[in-house]
Amino acid sequence: MLALVVIQPLAATSQTITALQPRFGQTLALLHEAESAGATSSEVAPLVVLLNKALELNAEAIKLGTPDQAQKQADLLVQVDQILTTVENRAAELTVVASHRSYTNRILTYMFAGVAAVLGTIAYAFTVSFYQEYRIKRTFQMRATRK
Amino acid sequence: MSFVSSQNRRTLIAVFITLLVVCEMVAYVTTTPRPREQFFQLYVLGTKHMAADYYPNDNTDIQLGEPVTWYLGITDNMGSVQLVSIRVKIGNETLKPPDDQQGLESPAPVAAEFTRFIQDNETWETPFVWSISDAVSSGGSTRVLALQINNETCQIQDWSATKGHNLRLLFELWAWQTEANAFEFGWMTGGEHRVAWLQVWFNMTSPRPT
Repeated sequence: MLALVVIQPLAATSQTITALQPRFGQTLALLHEAESAGATSSEVAPLVVLLNKALELNAEAIKLGTPDQAQKQADLLVQVDQILTTVENRAAELTVVASHRSYTNRILTYMFAGVAAVLGTIAYAFTVSFYQEYRIKRTFQMRATRK
Repeated sequence: MSFVSSQNRRTLIAVFITLLVVCEMVAYVTTTPRPREQFFQLYVLGTKHMAADYYPNDNTDIQLGEPVTWYLGITDNMGSVQLVSIRVKIGNETLKPPDDQQGLESPAPVAAEFTRFIQDNETWETPFVWSISDAVSSGGSTRVLALQINNETCQIQDWSATKGHNLRLLFELWAWQTEANAFEFGWMTGGEHRVAWLQVWFNMTSPRPT
């Protein structure tokens, strides 16, 4: 299994993230849907990077508490909103693509299983046939000897 | 083929059906994801990235303003992307720690929080550089007033220790629960509530006088 280790310094926040939590949760739920549909970790990874970027911007926005920083805070929250919208759209696309791919793979696997059963039966038939011919040949090659 | 006589045709059909059932069962097993144990790992490492050397000069007595470097890490083995949070709390020896059986967090206030999305099978690690930036001595006990964590000051209220002994930093793992749409202490797996938390003890016997 692929093991990923990410070491990255992160600023601590002395407040819990409250402003956009439900939105982050909704986006996470969409990602879970994509993963359940069969999206691979390499497909999901860019979305996780974007989500972490959104978290950092959100934490930065929360720190800006004074009135003169209100505009910057609003700009940051707009960026967070845009990132989350992007992730949600890509997650929805990924769900459709992964779902279709998983369905096709499943159908193909079951078809291959059927083909394997047919090939196995043919192999069995030939084996039995050759064995019977061999037995017949051996029977006619026998010689009766008086003891 | 001479083999395919009326008698042997039935044998062939039986062989085919048997093989078909076996092959389809194999196909079902390979396409169905196997259930696995879901869990997180939480760790705190010392300065040298090992489970040792947690204190400067191996001295558990932390001086005022003395930086201490640790590494916090989480590994996601939940089988999906998770939104996790490490909540850092400070307490003394009388502080109630998290309850593993009931799955309850410690009542200590949150001094700092690290939030992150992590993928399945991914380990996320962050440096945790902290120092006690303000502590005062009053009536034989030491009150920690402020911590510096990764260059951010966190104000602490109402935490004191007798002669500055047996203070501790608690690290609790919180995970986003999609059903509850909120962070919860620990996580659910197989209908059970699991929690992960750590604590590191230290002393602070040299506060500034009041």
